[in-house]
Amino acid sequence: MNANDREKRFLEKVKDLLNEGVENLDSQTGQRLERIRIKALEASKEKRSEFFTPLRWIMVGGFATATMAAAALFFWLSTSPGDLPARHVEDFEIITSEERIDFYQNLDFYRWLATEENGEAKGRTT
Amino acid sequence: MKICAELALDSKDTLNQFLADIERRAFRMAKFASGSADEALDLVQEAMLQFVRRYADRPPEEWNPVFYRVLQSRITDSHRRTSVRKRFLAWSGRMDGKEDQEDPLQSLPDPANPNPSDHILRQEERTALEKAIRMLPLRQQQAFLLRAWEGMDVAQAAFAMGCSEGSIKTHYSRAVHTLRGLLEDIRS
Repeated sequence: MNANDREKRFLEKVKDLLNEGVENLDSQTGQRLERIRIKALEASKEKRSEFFTPLRWIMVGGFATATMAAAALFFWLSTSPGDLPARHVEDFEIITSEERIDFYQNLDFYRWLATEENGEAKGRTT
Repeated sequence: MKICAELALDSKDTLNQFLADIERRAFRMAKFASGSADEALDLVQEAMLQFVRRYADRPPEEWNPVFYRVLQSRITDSHRRTSVRKRFLAWSGRMDGKEDQEDPLQSLPDPANPNPSDHILRQEERTALEKAIRMLPLRQQQAFLLRAWEGMDVAQAAFAMGCSEGSIKTHYSRAVHTLRGLLEDIRS
């Protein structure tokens, strides 16, 4: 018999002895184990009905509210006045005025034109 | 609706059968580790409750390694707590070293066995084996029982113990080596 066979026989005997230990378990322990199993099976039934308990609804509601508040805070901070295109008072004037936007884009040209025209008018008068 | 109810009943029966099949072995494993019948029953109860609450929806073929994973995790936690408690009691000098007493009924001869000397010999072997298993370090004990008794392969035992396959091989090999040394009589 080689070492492998000896080890195999040894392990088989160990397994038999362990199984005997289980078979010879006293009846009191057997009954307690049965009660534990029945309790566990009842818990598995409760598990399904417990899914929509008031506590769970409160938790879900609280989580949803917290998420909404976080999202609102995020959007509010990301669109704060510091990032608006109209940072200065002049910009607000442009936005709120009824003039066409072309006018403001060519404002420098109109200013130059006005000074030119004013200069010519002064020359003519002198 | 009726089919759903039948399926639920069938799955409950399957679960009941599975738990009935493993409860005694689970108890013995927990008792080897804890050394106390009451603590072992508590561990089995905690493991069963956690198993049915979290994992009973898994396919039945996965139940065995998953259940033992839950149980081994409970045993490891309990072992850790007990070690701390023992250290504290030893430090405070209140350790009485009292362990669970074996049930005296277990030592009575089995009337079904016609040869009392065989029965006594067998019982002595069993007692020696159980004592030797209790002497193993926890991880070796767990690896040995899962592999040699529960018949798990290396991968399943590694899953149940939450460690690598290499660790399982090492723990198992050391456990077998130690047990063979301690149980010369059983070997012969």
